[in-house]
Amino acid sequence: MRLEDVWVRYHRQGPWVLRGVDVRLGPGEVAVVLGRNGVGKSTLLQVAAGVLRPGRGRVTDRPARVGWVPERFPADQPFTVARYLTGMARVAGLRGAAVDEAVTSWTDRLGLAAFRSVRLPELSKGTAQKVGLAQAMLRLPGLLVLDEPWEGLDAATRELVPELIAEVLAADGAVLVSDHRGETVRLPAARRWSVADGSLTEEAPSADEAIAVVEVAVPAARVAGTVARLRAEGHQILRVRADTSIGTPPARPAAGPVRPAGDLTPEQPAGVEGADVVVEPAAGEAR
Amino acid sequence: MTALVRMRLAGFLRTGRAVAPLLAGLITLGTLYGGGRAQPAEAYGVSAVVLFPVLAWQTKILLDVEPDVQRRLAQVAVGAARERLAGLLAAGVAALVTVAVALLFPWLVGGISGPVDPGDRSIPVGLALGLWAHLLAVPAAVALGALASRASVGSAGYGVAVLALGGVGAVVLGLSGSVAPWLAPPIMATARTTGGDAAALTLLGLTVWALAWSVVVVGGYLWRRRARG
Repeated sequence: MRLEDVWVRYHRQGPWVLRGVDVRLGPGEVAVVLGRNGVGKSTLLQVAAGVLRPGRGRVTDRPARVGWVPERFPADQPFTVARYLTGMARVAGLRGAAVDEAVTSWTDRLGLAAFRSVRLPELSKGTAQKVGLAQAMLRLPGLLVLDEPWEGLDAATRELVPELIAEVLAADGAVLVSDHRGETVRLPAARRWSVADGSLTEEAPSADEAIAVVEVAVPAARVAGTVARLRAEGHQILRVRADTSIGTPPARPAAGPVRPAGDLTPEQPAGVEGADVVVEPAAGEAR
Repeated sequence: MTALVRMRLAGFLRTGRAVAPLLAGLITLGTLYGGGRAQPAEAYGVSAVVLFPVLAWQTKILLDVEPDVQRRLAQVAVGAARERLAGLLAAGVAALVTVAVALLFPWLVGGISGPVDPGDRSIPVGLALGLWAHLLAVPAAVALGALASRASVGSAGYGVAVLALGGVGAVVLGLSGSVAPWLAPPIMATARTTGGDAAALTLLGLTVWALAWSVVVVGGYLWRRRARG
């Protein structure tokens, strides 16, 4: 897909929101659109998805099937989740048994199974956002456009977004994501486009500079060994702390016998019972 | 695209907002037929005039019920042309249902009488003319309602203004002796024709007029949609 000298404004006499954007996104490629609020990220995404028509310039070679996840899902509709998704599957061109198959598989994967007969206006924001994700994926799109997909999602579904993206990429689809919260660190292979003052610049590939913070829960007895090993592998240890929330989060790997954290002092760097190690790639080449 | 038509009709019926125009239509029809019995062609001609603004309003409601973002999602799924066509078709189907109710209504309340004088039309001919008059109002009303929809005008205030102007204009400009009758759809002329002399050439002329007016107004709607993205 290619955006050729695309100019966009919302009113005839209004200011140009995008000015002469010229960019190409090939099959199997993912690009992250970065920028401050109101800078035109959503506008760029909507032009790519085919929702907005550019005032000047054009979009060529857009894949036939586009999945668009809007920033806010339009929940003000008189349908239940299952009815809405069934309707959208048919609108996307699915027929017969394939409709139910797609709806069932996506409601299951996104944790919407319990909400199938709930009406859209009654959903929480995050659950509605999942319906937004589901409708875009019902039929595997050749171009997936995600506008702030992590907004309002719970931890388990946030992890799922990169999975969906990988699926589209594996089928030679292209993916465009906007993000202003740094969640796209989960997409290390992504090209980075930053939008400012109406124009788009591609940031040079910077895998070395990108820094992610990974929190690791380790049984207290193994903290010292783990810290040493991670250091040896070139990671930077930011801090070691007693985990006050231990025992509750299901996403974390089990960390041995759980003890109340109140009897620990945060200053104890190692040897504490139930501790979190926060690591970062080695700072040497990073900064 | 059939799927989108069905989804939009379902959305329209499920919100319950379909009730308001239908109620307005029934009340005006009730008032109309409450005045006494009339022969079918004459009665249906007037009923079509009354129904025109109701059908346009119904179309506007049907199109406005769908949130803007959902309309864009539909556009992404089926393309711009088919998204617009599906909206017009859904409104057309809803309008035909209302027309069917309007055609049946006078029979339920005993508002229709058979031929009285020897020169009067038979009931089947009267029915056929009445059906024709109503079907002529459908495309024009759908076109006006679409032009007045939020997707076309952008704000609710303008939409109501377009709707009111179109509804009143169709009656005022359609009065005999009007300076610019062609600015409005020929619903008043149709009523005069069904009530009086209905030559084949006149019927054909009115049909062409109504369709041409609808095409121009739909063109305006599509142009507005294109300009607004």
